[in-house]
Amino acid sequence: MPQLVIDGRRIEVPTNTNLIEAARLAGIDIPYFCYHPYLTVVGQCRICLVEIEGQPRLAIACATPAAEGMIVRSETSPRVKEAREAVMEFLLANHPLDCPVCDQAGECLLQDHSMAEQGNRFATHMVETRRTFPGFERRLIGPHVVQNQNRCIHCSRCIRVTREISETSALTYKSRGNSTYIDTFDGGPFDDPFSACAADVCPVGALTIREFRFRKRAWKLRSTPSVCPGCSIGCNIWIDHDERLVYRFTPRENPDVNATWLCDYGRFLAESLNEEPATAVRHRVSGELLTVSRKEALLAIGQELRTARTLHIVASANLSTEELFLARELFAGELKGELVVPVDPGQPKRMKNGRGEWLNASDAHPNSSGARLLGLTIVDGERLRGFLGEAADLTVLLDPTAHPFLATDEALRLLRPRPTLVIGRGSHAMADLATWLVPGATQACNEGTFVSSLGALQRFSAAFAPSGEERPLWRILTWLAAALGASQLALSQPAEVFSLMASREKAFFGASWGSPETAGIEPPGEHQHVG
Amino acid sequence: MSTTPIRAASVEALQSFRFDRTLDEQIAGLVERFPTRRAALIPTLWLLQERYGWISPEVIEATARRLGESPAFVEGVVTFYTMFRTSPPARYVLQVCTTLSCAVCGATELLAHLHDRLGIGPGEKTLDGLFQIVGVQCLGACGGAPVIQVNDDYYENLDASRLDALLGQLTGRP
Amino acid sequence: MEATLLRARGEKGSVSLDSFLRRGGYEGLRKALSIGAEAVTKEVINSELRGRGGAGFPTGRKWTFVPRDHPGPKYLVCNADESEPGTFKDREIMEVDPHLVLEGIAIASFAVGASTSYIYIRGEFVRWARILEAAIAEARERKFLGRNILGSGFDLDVWVYRGAGAYICGEETALLESLEGKRGFPRLKPPFPAIVGAFGKPTVVNNVETLACLPSIIMNGAVWFTSIGRPRNTGPKLYSVSGHVNRPGVYELPIGTTFREIIFEHCGGIRGGKALKAFFPGGSSAPVLAARDLDVRADFDACAEAGSMLGSGGVIVLDESVDMVEVACNLAHFYAHESCGQCTPCREGADWCMDILERILEGHGRPADPETLLRICRFASGGMTICPLGDAFSLPISSLVGKFPEDFERRIKPAAPLPTKKFPVLPWSRPGTGFGV
Repeated sequence: MPQLVIDGRRIEVPTNTNLIEAARLAGIDIPYFCYHPYLTVVGQCRICLVEIEGQPRLAIACATPAAEGMIVRSETSPRVKEAREAVMEFLLANHPLDCPVCDQAGECLLQDHSMAEQGNRFATHMVETRRTFPGFERRLIGPHVVQNQNRCIHCSRCIRVTREISETSALTYKSRGNSTYIDTFDGGPFDDPFSACAADVCPVGALTIREFRFRKRAWKLRSTPSVCPGCSIGCNIWIDHDERLVYRFTPRENPDVNATWLCDYGRFLAESLNEEPATAVRHRVSGELLTVSRKEALLAIGQELRTARTLHIVASANLSTEELFLARELFAGELKGELVVPVDPGQPKRMKNGRGEWLNASDAHPNSSGARLLGLTIVDGERLRGFLGEAADLTVLLDPTAHPFLATDEALRLLRPRPTLVIGRGSHAMADLATWLVPGATQACNEGTFVSSLGALQRFSAAFAPSGEERPLWRILTWLAAALGASQLALSQPAEVFSLMASREKAFFGASWGSPETAGIEPPGEHQHVG
Repeated sequence: MSTTPIRAASVEALQSFRFDRTLDEQIAGLVERFPTRRAALIPTLWLLQERYGWISPEVIEATARRLGESPAFVEGVVTFYTMFRTSPPARYVLQVCTTLSCAVCGATELLAHLHDRLGIGPGEKTLDGLFQIVGVQCLGACGGAPVIQVNDDYYENLDASRLDALLGQLTGRP
Repeated sequence: MEATLLRARGEKGSVSLDSFLRRGGYEGLRKALSIGAEAVTKEVINSELRGRGGAGFPTGRKWTFVPRDHPGPKYLVCNADESEPGTFKDREIMEVDPHLVLEGIAIASFAVGASTSYIYIRGEFVRWARILEAAIAEARERKFLGRNILGSGFDLDVWVYRGAGAYICGEETALLESLEGKRGFPRLKPPFPAIVGAFGKPTVVNNVETLACLPSIIMNGAVWFTSIGRPRNTGPKLYSVSGHVNRPGVYELPIGTTFREIIFEHCGGIRGGKALKAFFPGGSSAPVLAARDLDVRADFDACAEAGSMLGSGGVIVLDESVDMVEVACNLAHFYAHESCGQCTPCREGADWCMDILERILEGHGRPADPETLLRICRFASGGMTICPLGDAFSLPISSLVGKFPEDFERRIKPAAPLPTKKFPVLPWSRPGTGFGV
């Protein structure tokens, strides 16, 4: 564990720590562009230069391991300041003054370091015409990524992401020198399941995300920590939103799960969290859809639940652990209904963690492990069809997106003649046939936990409150519990549901709502394969 | 000294491109010289350029598959090196050295003379597809400045009349 | 001094193995194999031979960086990339005496423990690549290369590897990247090639001329080698002289011959009786020297003391008719074209210098331009870049600005209006087509 001094501060760091990370531990920020904590070091940008006592030349901090007794100067060295100013000037020499029209503004490393190194004077001696790349200024290179090659600072982060993380090597440098540009093979589509990660790592606006283009200034966004609902791996995300609209998902760092990555599939589920606010609970009587007040509806639904002799509940592996627990306690426990959780394996998904290992998803849901831990009955599409085929006095669908089968004509045919209670998120075909349609809110308004297929208990927070009549499922379930007199379930916070669950369920003993990191809960059944 | 002309394969021909048995064996031979398949890339590209006259996207794709690289990676290598041609060349590529010694010993005059005779400048091709001029950097023959490399061959100590003689030799017309 | 490196020049059929053997060829190798690798290394260290590719690093010492107990394989790479402007000496050796190069390669490989050697030769040198390939085939057939060379148990495979048009691949780590099948990007050092070189294994990269010195060092001894020149600047040196001299060409002379003697005696002075204005002592990547420097000795230390570098020994002579702004612009073009593009100061700086100099030549120079050029050069050299290509353009351009201010002043008019001109992407790179947004 070498001890060294950086800008007069003495610290001890693990062996093989590079000086950028060592400085970070000492509370000093050394600027960088091409360095990335989860990618190989290339030492190309030259902005992280530092002075090391005893060495005549400045050294790049990213490629220098901290050594015992090193005396390093970053902010306290005039030589370093001069050198970094010069590197900034070189970078800005050919960089277009696009900030007013560039999405990256506000989260742009070039802006950040330029402010730090040059203050707020745009200092350059460059009076030549800037080099440009005609035809490469607003170029869609894949389904999600827009390229503006004029802005590129040639840090190679995007190329390294495709080489080292997604392993497609879909991006490359072409040509050389100052006419170097980034491109795909033969200018074809950027075919990579992590293509948006290339835009993420781009420190400037050379690669940006199409879905986000021109929609919102970065500094207007609020970021709420959440977990991706796209599959069972449970990548950590930020929901970036403003005024109750979700603008995007961005990766949230977690070295054990997704490092700083997010796959395109999960990332672009963000838009699915935006729905029109619902106006009311709907009740279908003789084919006509009536509006009912919530109070009336809860009473009536409670009545139907109580009097139903056979009660079928289709829960969902997309629900939070708290919601699954409440559903089990209420419908299966109190009301003696039969509850199933359909699980769809989905397309194979995988993610690279911070150690460079591939993690494979077990299925297409964020919380099938939560359902398993709660001892719920897991069914596949076939058994779900069988389940829906059986007669029941009341069928409750807690999530129309629980399984692709629910979107099929066959499912609609099976359910149309029966009384159904649908707690719906979004406009779904089920809304057409539901006897009772209670509007449910999306994950953006929800708070709870998921258990990933790696056994991580991860918490997600609500970005904003619902704007209409829709409510998150846990809230609707606690109201139903109150209407049915099950007072121990009529709780007022997901945290309270969690506490109840943690005190009752062996699998959750010792788990804490307050620390949402991996709680080390073993998933039942098969081990997660880390490949 | 005569210079072998380039017979470049057409775009159409390359669209149905496959390695034939000879090429396959030659490439296998190249791969054997190195501990990694990737190291055979540049020698393989030379082989293919000699055979087809230039490196097309189809060639890049096939080479990538053969050596276990992504096509983007191979294209990155191809475009880094100035001698790999990514479009069909003329029969005779006149690579005129423009670096210091040649520049001060008459390279500019040679280019002007070529413009007079052929009507083209650096980066241009004659309409009959016979000649193409490329301005290149130091060819490593500075003692014989000014120097032009025609396809594979060096021609040194050129002046207007020697250049005329050379053009005559290449076209078969004095 | 009797020719050593170019002793075969003028002899008919000198490239053949038999001709080489008649000249005493492969006797150096035979002796090296008998005295052992350590003794060979010691002899080369004692000879004070310094790398002839441009860096001038002591060759024997470079060999000692290879870890002896490494399980291998180890590689010896012959750097025949010869792309430094003004340099054409390696070509001469390959033209007249390819087996001399092979013998040098074999001796060096034996000394460092390499069993495979690649000759990285620039792509344009097609003829000389073929000459080397033919010589290798001959040598293999007659057991001077391949398995159990001269019955010693030493195995060596030599392959010719053609580059494809990149000056930067003359830099040893970029060469190794190219050899491995990638874009020629210089690597960060450490680690050094002797530890992590080709394919991750210990590798020594030596220049053609350096290797060509080895047979005579082994045969005649280190003392003989040091008798030519002076301490730390020893042996015969090939000087490539070009530009405005009457007799340009490659001259084998004792290292440390003065530039005056090289230019005015051997090369017959300046063409047309003109006056000398300036000369580059060793390729274009070093500060330019002027008439007052003619008595500087053309060796490593003397050139360094005079504020420049011997480098590759490529002497470019410029007469009084030459405008140094044009020279600077020509060189800026060269380096901008050859920059690999990895690191900021070189990629942006070389291009920027080129733009400024072009603008000055077009008549739109401004008074701040020389200062700007110096600033760019200052921050593209001295460790600011990954490799010395930054220094390679910074040193000549800043020396031209500093030593010939009148040439710049003549061109620069105060407050000239700026031109409007778009500089396109360089012609041989072709942006593809996208979908458009």
